[in-house]
Amino acid sequence: MIEPLRISFEVACSPDHAFTTWTRRAAAWWPPEHTVSHQPGAEIVFEPKVGGRIFERTREGEEIEWGEVTEWGPPRRLSYRWHIATDPANATDVEIVFRRLPNATTRVEIEHGGWERIGAIGQVWRDANNAGWDGVLPSYRAQAAG
Amino acid sequence: MKAKRRIADPFDALGNPYRREIVELLARKPRSVQQIADHLPISRPAVSRHLSVLNRAGLVSDEQVGARRLYRLDEQGAEAVGRYLAQVWGNVGVRFKLFAENTTPRSR
Repeated sequence: MIEPLRISFEVACSPDHAFTTWTRRAAAWWPPEHTVSHQPGAEIVFEPKVGGRIFERTREGEEIEWGEVTEWGPPRRLSYRWHIATDPANATDVEIVFRRLPNATTRVEIEHGGWERIGAIGQVWRDANNAGWDGVLPSYRAQAAG
Repeated sequence: MKAKRRIADPFDALGNPYRREIVELLARKPRSVQQIADHLPISRPAVSRHLSVLNRAGLVSDEQVGARRLYRLDEQGAEAVGRYLAQVWGNVGVRFKLFAENTTPRSR
């Protein structure tokens, strides 16, 4: 078992808004360089149900699979299998919890695991995780808190 | 924007089954191009091309040992993957946060 990557950060909005922003407006904030087509105008679709497809639709209408929804629990939980830029056999797992905090704030907790499915990367990965994931976001946190 | 050498994405690099096999072979011990080609149904030039992609992704490094060039799994390969992922999720997190906070229907 290879430890999942875990990151979390706080957003000044409700879990409802956070969930909707994640699943229905991904094209507005998902970094275009991490799409398959690299097109700024591409749509990103999460079909709202377990088993729903996650895909990118290019301006030409081509649909490129990114993964599959495995848990659809608005506004609190969202999980999916993720195989962007690799084949489905190498899918990893993304689990997101949108946790309500006081002061109209939501804590977004992301766990990205399933690395053992990728044989080769599993080898490479094991050591990286030993170093721990503390400090993944601090610079971003500082930046966002500004 | 900072000028940066274009480095291959480790996940793109590992998206190819032969490259994954090469990484697995090298995880056991360093090998030459010929030794790698002996294990795979592809030509030496094809192996070299795959090694070049893996090298740019920071996963594999090479070393001249006598008359042979040996390829090995880069010790920093794991860190390269880790840094890459941290960067992707960090970037996603920041962009998501900024967008969500600026589109809140009513922040109260």
